[in-house]
Amino acid sequence: MNVVRETASVHHRSRPMLVRAADAIYWMSRYMERAEAVARLLSVHAGLLIDVGELPSHAEQALWRGVLATMRIDNVPSGPAPLPQRVMRFVTFDPQSPMSLTSCLTRARENARAVRERISAEMWESLNRLYWFIHDQDASRRFDESPEDLWREIITGSMLFQGLCDQTIAHDQRWHFTQTAKYLERVDYTCRAIQTRLALLTPAEHQVESPLRSLHWSAVLRSCCSIEAFRQNHGTGFDPLAVVSFLVLDGGFPRSVLFSVMRAREAVTAVAAETGHAMTAQRILGRLEATLRYAQPAEIAHQGIASYMQGLQSQVAEAGADLQDTYFLY
Amino acid sequence: MFESYESQGLFDEMYLPDHRARPHYAAVAARLESLGTAAFDRRREMANVSFINQGITFTVYGDQRGVEKIFPFDLVPRIIPASEWQVIERGLVQRITALNMFCDDVYHEQRILKEGVIPAELVLGAKMFRREMLGVEIPRKTYIHICGTDLVRDRDGRYLVLEDNGRTPSGVSYVLENRAVMKRVFPTLFSAYRVRSIEQYPRNLLACLRSMAQSHALDPTVVVLTPGIFNSAYFEHSFLARQMGVELVEGRDLVVDGGFVFMRTTGGLERVDVIYRRVDDDFLDPLAFRPDSALGVPGLMGAYRMGNVALVNAVGTGIADDKAIYPYVPDMIRFYLNEDAILANVPTYICARPDDRQYVLEHLHELVVKSTNESGGYGMLMGHQAPSSERAAFATKIAADPRNFIAQPVVELSQHPSYVDGHFEGRRIDLRPYILFGEKVVVMPGGLTRVALRKGSLVVNSSQGGGSKDTWVLEDEGVQAQPGQASSISDDSIAVGI
Repeated sequence: MNVVRETASVHHRSRPMLVRAADAIYWMSRYMERAEAVARLLSVHAGLLIDVGELPSHAEQALWRGVLATMRIDNVPSGPAPLPQRVMRFVTFDPQSPMSLTSCLTRARENARAVRERISAEMWESLNRLYWFIHDQDASRRFDESPEDLWREIITGSMLFQGLCDQTIAHDQRWHFTQTAKYLERVDYTCRAIQTRLALLTPAEHQVESPLRSLHWSAVLRSCCSIEAFRQNHGTGFDPLAVVSFLVLDGGFPRSVLFSVMRAREAVTAVAAETGHAMTAQRILGRLEATLRYAQPAEIAHQGIASYMQGLQSQVAEAGADLQDTYFLY
Repeated sequence: MFESYESQGLFDEMYLPDHRARPHYAAVAARLESLGTAAFDRRREMANVSFINQGITFTVYGDQRGVEKIFPFDLVPRIIPASEWQVIERGLVQRITALNMFCDDVYHEQRILKEGVIPAELVLGAKMFRREMLGVEIPRKTYIHICGTDLVRDRDGRYLVLEDNGRTPSGVSYVLENRAVMKRVFPTLFSAYRVRSIEQYPRNLLACLRSMAQSHALDPTVVVLTPGIFNSAYFEHSFLARQMGVELVEGRDLVVDGGFVFMRTTGGLERVDVIYRRVDDDFLDPLAFRPDSALGVPGLMGAYRMGNVALVNAVGTGIADDKAIYPYVPDMIRFYLNEDAILANVPTYICARPDDRQYVLEHLHELVVKSTNESGGYGMLMGHQAPSSERAAFATKIAADPRNFIAQPVVELSQHPSYVDGHFEGRRIDLRPYILFGEKVVVMPGGLTRVALRKGSLVVNSSQGGGSKDTWVLEDEGVQAQPGQASSISDDSIAVGI
């Protein structure tokens, strides 16, 4: 019993964290998660082209417009190259677009640089390598040789970074901020991926099993890094409601919305405990977690998938905004 | 790789005039001479990749947004034997002690001015003189806590002081990182030597900073204040904060309330006791100095004057490293310490003096003219190399504002083998050791050896195409008792100090 007490007494209050540093570490983590999602989205779609071979031109156009829509990029990049190549290159390298890989990695790194002294050398180096990788003069040539390789490098780079983040810094508020950011970004992405896909087929096309439907919904799963996990539980049919229910409600799977909301809720709760500042985000995420825990796929169907996704996104956005208001406004 | 190596009539750090390596360089020279170009290039590449991946970069301005570059690193180490270093160390301690006494004097009794040792108008009229500091009591009467003094060696190998940097000297992070990289890519090179460790610098720096805290603070909060991520020395600010385990703050992270300084944290306001500021005086506090400064903290100067926060270095140390005051440092040392300067100055003409000015204007073609208010190799005329139009332009400037200029004969800096395109060539070097003035004075054994990588160039500043070397201060004379090797030290090889 004494041992327990002594251990408790040597437990120091964790080091205070600058508001600006918390802000930077949060965005570092969000942009990194975003980079990974963008890389995977591109990689999945480039792969689809190879899988299905010739697609009717309008379907192919729709597919790539869907990629842009998922990233909330409104303008279709212009140029002489065919649309797929244009989109791939644009979303990979365009320095102006905030969603491009170059932008995401640059912003992740700028934020990391601002808190360089609060993250581990391993985290910094892995991120810095990725930054130079995409900014290297050779990157464009590598892209021409094999875009897939370049994206894969970024995906594994992001996973390495996240692993290092888990394993090389203390799980204090710094880490909780990275987790909040990562999971909020993930929910947002997953909802967008589902939403934009709905618009690509007619309601009738979504109802009936077809190669096109499988193509689209397996793409959603792949872009959420979930295809294998889905197959293990749900076989090979890609019923939209089954896919969406899996991606939203399967609390045991780290890519699901419920899992992400649980982690984000835990993280903001830990931040609040450490700083002594409670925030509305705890309540928003707590309520959302409870709703999702006890939700039925039928409820999603009843409300409509699109509307359900919209609801999730706005609640998560509200939680993110509250976090910023509570900690980052200075 | 040494086939075409020439001493160019300069003092060569590694080689004697008869092309034998100096005894303390013998082991390194032998190793390098036996190494092929490919092996050396591989190590160079390893070092460069390591700098890039670790983000050990600085930002060069000039184009719109600035470009991130690595500080070119020259893998051939510079070696200083113990006996040479002892003299340098004593000279540096003497110098920083006198400079601190000078600052305290100028902002209090002004004895040195009253007794006419230094012309009062030169000090009181200096841009860097801070009226706000008159009569202000600061912890331990210490103004310059961290000093980087630039040393050069002349044709005879004498160490001379080129200038003191008593405001916010930078470069120490490169010293530490250079050593770390060197150990990684060239471990075998160390084996023949007993090189003094420099790793304790961050600990010594933190101890120095903590010693400046007010007595109330048992566990004082120390922070490093940076102008921000776009500052060219940002890497260093972040590096030092990380090494010391303290917060790196920007002006906007701090707030002054009721005469105390706080930082904004996620848990609320936290009191700050000591600020290692890497922001110039002018930008520290928009209420006291430049009102347009967005980098500073409104009210900071007030809190400082009340003694509620310590600033390191103190405000107003610019008078001590003013290039117009520099010629008087030996007089200062005599005045305050009653000693002769251990490290000599480079002879200097003070353009504010009519006789000197006359001489300077007549001999521009053989002098180096420096603006007293600029640093980093800017605002400088290399008279022997400049076209006559540039000399004429400087002559006009000097006549218009003589206080702003000093001139020095060209010091033919010593050269050191540097790796250039597959072989070794001599390149000019200098040395910036770092001195900490806290409860005790600690000189880091070594410092930043900067190299003018352009052939024939005398300018070593990083902003002007300079690089750097690892600098080894030895525990001993670095002479190995190996058969067949010269064991006696020729007179030439221990040309030390004065």
